[in-house]
Amino acid sequence: MKYLLIFSFLLGSTFSANNEIPNFRLKNLDNRTVSFNQIKGENLTVIDFWATWCKPCVKSIPEFVKMDEEFDDDDVKFIGISIDGPRNEAKVKPFIKSLGVKYPVLRDSDSSVMARLRVTAVPTLLIVNSDNEVLYFHEGYKSGEEVEIKEKIKELLEE
Amino acid sequence: MKYIARFFVFAIIFGFCGRPVLAQIYGTNTFEFQFGNLPFEEDTDLTTSYNQLNLYYDSDKISLFGKFEQFFTPFKSRNYFDVTQKRFQFQDDNLRIRIGNFYETIGSGLLLRSYDIPGSVFESDFYRTRYAFFRDLEGIAFDADLDWAEIKAVRAEPLQNDLPPNFEPDSVRRPDLVEALQATFFPTDDLSVGAAFMRVNTPFSSDYSEFVSLISSVQLPASFQVFSEYAFNTSSDIFSFSRNQSYALYAGLNYYKGSFGGSFEYKNYNNFRLGSSGFNDPPSLIKEHTHPVLNRSTHVPNTANERGIQVEAFYSFDGGHSLVANYASTINNVARRSRFFEYFLEGTYKVNDNLTLKSFADYAKDDPKGQDNRISLGLIADKGFQNSKNIILDVQYQNFDELGQSDKSENVFASLSFGFSSGLSVSAVFESTTEPGLTDNPNTFPEIETDPRTWFGLNSLYKINASNSVALFIGTRRGGPACTSGICYEILDFEGAELRITTRF
Repeated sequence: MKYLLIFSFLLGSTFSANNEIPNFRLKNLDNRTVSFNQIKGENLTVIDFWATWCKPCVKSIPEFVKMDEEFDDDDVKFIGISIDGPRNEAKVKPFIKSLGVKYPVLRDSDSSVMARLRVTAVPTLLIVNSDNEVLYFHEGYKSGEEVEIKEKIKELLEE
Repeated sequence: MKYIARFFVFAIIFGFCGRPVLAQIYGTNTFEFQFGNLPFEEDTDLTTSYNQLNLYYDSDKISLFGKFEQFFTPFKSRNYFDVTQKRFQFQDDNLRIRIGNFYETIGSGLLLRSYDIPGSVFESDFYRTRYAFFRDLEGIAFDADLDWAEIKAVRAEPLQNDLPPNFEPDSVRRPDLVEALQATFFPTDDLSVGAAFMRVNTPFSSDYSEFVSLISSVQLPASFQVFSEYAFNTSSDIFSFSRNQSYALYAGLNYYKGSFGGSFEYKNYNNFRLGSSGFNDPPSLIKEHTHPVLNRSTHVPNTANERGIQVEAFYSFDGGHSLVANYASTINNVARRSRFFEYFLEGTYKVNDNLTLKSFADYAKDDPKGQDNRISLGLIADKGFQNSKNIILDVQYQNFDELGQSDKSENVFASLSFGFSSGLSVSAVFESTTEPGLTDNPNTFPEIETDPRTWFGLNSLYKINASNSVALFIGTRRGGPACTSGICYEILDFEGAELRITTRF
């Protein structure tokens, strides 16, 4: 019975070959729930999964702050998603403010959105277009990789 | 015949006769193969394979999810194939309904917290079975967002995740039934106030335990934010804070100005381990470290009785340098009074665009573990080269006085990692200890080994492309407590070879 339900459900849909992310909802640092579609960029959206305890994440964030300012006029929006649990939530806001982050930061404290976007490690960066298609996926961060990420954003803006 | 009729009914409902919706199936797969065993295990060279498939289906406002896990060993009793999670979800801009397995947290986790650690594979020491590490809820959840309020309602059974998926009877893995309702109101942009009511039915009891939580958050002028949550059993006196009552108070303050940020938190928990599975998780107020010698030395809250504070301050200097200072203090008063405190200081110095030095110093007293004068030091050098290549040297040392031991115990951690632009990274990890509980081989009792014990392993990771990666470990790996995303669990030692293949599709 349940297999019939699933099968008929699948048949009733037209499958997409694209790699789209769903319109997820998370709380922001002011405790309000926002959806991805409400805050995404007009052109590109760069999503950075991070945590206060993650050393490479902390190293990469100042680079994203610079890029956020640099691409401000190109409708490129940065969004940070912190996977810190309740244990570290008190630290998230002052921490990112001290790093000069001006872009929206959301909290995925149970990592459910992280799992749904098929992210298994932090830091992971996704670049998404206005149709929510994932155009670029980058796991981890080493010094110097910000150059590659910046070039990728420029390349995608030119397409 | 009736199934065919039902098929057509569902097909009509879901789209055959309606407007086709754009849908996609996607997922992740993790395959892990181990050849080896626990270092002191007599049956050496145990071969195991574990596979985890997460499958998602999204179509407009509807999504389906399934997690399929398989574990295979030469021992039949440990093997299983199971659909360990399944979920139906409806979501639009203001409303979400979930049926099946899902995650939800009430307030700061004083009453209820569930979590997922994506990519983790946990091995139970007792059952020697491997499975994904998460604590989910199984049931139904509803949440709605309005401009001025948010409401969530849950009726579900939390997972007791120290029991593997093949544990029989399965009902024992979800012993408690939780029904919770939380409402949060936003009278102004800077103020939120809320309340939660939860009732719990535990096994072998027809009665319900009832709990209430009061939650508030205020953004004050000059970048101060104050937040608090007070939860209590309704059979206890509200705000009595006496030893025989059941309550949990968590409050905090944070502040930022320019490149400075800081937080202060307070906790006071008493008789507050909820349900038979302990599905709540009040904030521990202990610094979460990723440095291995400190990560495994963490303090896990004892909600039978615990109070304490945590203060943290960070400053980001121009040029990429930073400083983090943390102080945490906790007192438990259960059978006897015990104290944990920790001072932590970490500095990052960016010598130039290609070289970063990080060092930390930590001093702690840990009565619950019987450790005193615990000193931990570390130095990490990260040197980058052209084309995204880099080398990281990480050296850490720890010593402490252990209860009943005349000599200090010592721990050493050292790793050297190379990252290449091709997507390949390799590292060598060395660890040693003189901790009596770890140097002794339990199989040789009554003989007690005291020689230092060492571990050495080689890790390699190759990212084939954005969707596929292969990781290989060869050698010996130290286990012990580990904390990820604020969740602490026990990792077993391992000796042998381990191959992990991760795929996104």
